[in-house]
Amino acid sequence: MSDRHALFDVVSPGLQTSVQDYPGRLGLQSKGFFPAGPVDHLAFRIANALVGNDPGAAGLEIPMGRLRLRVLADTSVAVTGAEGSGITLNGAPLPMWETVRVVSGDEIACSIIKGPGFRLYLAVAGGIDVPVVMHSRATYTMGGIGGVEGRALSKGDVLHGWKAAAPPRLRVPMALRPPLVNDWEIEVMRGPHADPDYLTEQDWKDFVGRQWKVDLNSNRVGTRLESHRFGWARASGGVAGGHPSNVLDGSYPLGGINTNGDVPVILGPDGPTAGGFTVIGTVVHAGLWKVGQLRPGRDTIRFREVSLDEALALAGRTDYTTNPHHFEEL
Amino acid sequence: MNAIITARPASGDRPAITWRAAGDRYVLIEYGEMKLDLELNFFVTSMAAHLAASPIKGLVEAAPGFRSLLLQYDPATIGRGDLVDAVEEVHDAQQSVRSLVIPSRLITLPIAFDDSESREAVRRYRTTIRQDAPNIRDNSNIDYIVDYNGLPDREALYATVTGTEWWNAYTGFFPGLPFMFPLDPRNAITVPKYNPTRTWTAEGAVGIGGPCVAIYPVEAPGGYQLFGRTLTVYDVLARHGVFQDDPILIRPGDRVRFERVSEEELLDLRTDVLENRYEYAIEDDPFSVAGYLAETSAMQAEAERLRIAREAAAEKVEVP
Repeated sequence: MSDRHALFDVVSPGLQTSVQDYPGRLGLQSKGFFPAGPVDHLAFRIANALVGNDPGAAGLEIPMGRLRLRVLADTSVAVTGAEGSGITLNGAPLPMWETVRVVSGDEIACSIIKGPGFRLYLAVAGGIDVPVVMHSRATYTMGGIGGVEGRALSKGDVLHGWKAAAPPRLRVPMALRPPLVNDWEIEVMRGPHADPDYLTEQDWKDFVGRQWKVDLNSNRVGTRLESHRFGWARASGGVAGGHPSNVLDGSYPLGGINTNGDVPVILGPDGPTAGGFTVIGTVVHAGLWKVGQLRPGRDTIRFREVSLDEALALAGRTDYTTNPHHFEEL
Repeated sequence: MNAIITARPASGDRPAITWRAAGDRYVLIEYGEMKLDLELNFFVTSMAAHLAASPIKGLVEAAPGFRSLLLQYDPATIGRGDLVDAVEEVHDAQQSVRSLVIPSRLITLPIAFDDSESREAVRRYRTTIRQDAPNIRDNSNIDYIVDYNGLPDREALYATVTGTEWWNAYTGFFPGLPFMFPLDPRNAITVPKYNPTRTWTAEGAVGIGGPCVAIYPVEAPGGYQLFGRTLTVYDVLARHGVFQDDPILIRPGDRVRFERVSEEELLDLRTDVLENRYEYAIEDDPFSVAGYLAETSAMQAEAERLRIAREAAAEKVEVP
């Protein structure tokens, strides 16, 4: 069962396609590692559930599209995530959100993703086998670790995986598919550095009240929003630096809204682990997947403040959609 | 809704504690006031060591900052309220920060000042990013650091760097990057960061930003003023045995002492590291806060005099 076989020949790697697993590298932040792993953890876990894998098994994250793979084994795959990729199997549309049988010699290809959504996820029965580095297979390019030699895929890479019994064919019901849009509402909790001591009450009202455009310069490290003049509750950052967004350095949460100077950045899975800027709000677990589907330079966000109880209830509902018992059998 | 979950005032030698919400899987604990007080960091380092040694079920990790701890937890295993209670028990069980003995190692590293890789990083910055940067003279940041701190010459800067142990307050930003502060308060120098930042820095480069000295663990962008280069401090491929169990050389609570070598010697040593012939000078040496405070109390008056003189010098120097 744990025999390896060649799965895919990368004919065209796309733009920063990478091997990821979930939840990536936990417990290493104090050494300077953020977790890596899929930006949209929900679509990623659903893809794995569709091919009978553990939800965290290694699969592909495909931002922007333009990937072309030659299949080298008889197996099952599932593709989830962004719409408008024109993904095909041997030239015919490949159905998303369901288990698809493939055979050696098949070709899977997609064009530039038009959206809504920005990243596709591809899982394969048994999972992709790349070396485990520091407890995870997730690619972290800046640290040069995980995935294929610590980098995004290149033309000519051959991906291997574990042989697995053919999983039952499943489909995610429409009602359970994560809704993809262009104008997003993302759930946040206030803090750690919000009002009353870092922001003014009005600053927070402005933050959740306005619509934010997603900057073109957004990636796995961070999603940049537009520049915004906060009032700030403090005149300066004191010993930490001149600007009131400066604090004495500390560790950052994944999904933290890190405000350096006047520009808020949502910290992604490859983000910096620590730094000297305020984190005014934090995207909650149930909202984090949406960050992976934001289209740089196009999409907008409104933040909705939730309580801890609401965040936990939403996380429970999100996890419900990753359970294959709730899928349709084909 | 409030970002502050709960707060306790300082009590005896224990700093004030402020708990802040950070989403549904993290909480941030801040200690004391926002000032550059190493005692706060000693408390943080000790707390992080305790939490790592006696794990609380459901606590994924406690990641330190200068005066804070970020706790990541699994809400399916422990609720936030229970986590706060469990960690408060650890706070209460801490001895006075002034009597702590913190697990620590003294790591001696060679440094070549004004090395050609740092000069190359500065030269690239000057030619491709900012030609008129006031922090660059002769493809180097060194004279700027000297002037900003009112030091008489480059040799005085080099003596400041080699004349103290540097305390690693925490590791982060990039894998294995140490954020270090001088244990001898008289050696506290400061300098503004790049504006805008640099796109390339050599692995092993040593620089200073604000009051903090860092070693670049990988080739990386950066904003610190560069003054030298040392050995590899991060190697995930473990080409040297010291990285076999952990790709990171310098842990929070470790101290670094720099020993001056020529660039030629440094390059030879770097080759020795790659070929696993070099022996890193690492000495287990627990750090006694009481001993440190006793040793430095006599230095404080001079440190304060130097600080005021350096501030006066800084006022005359342009900020990038």
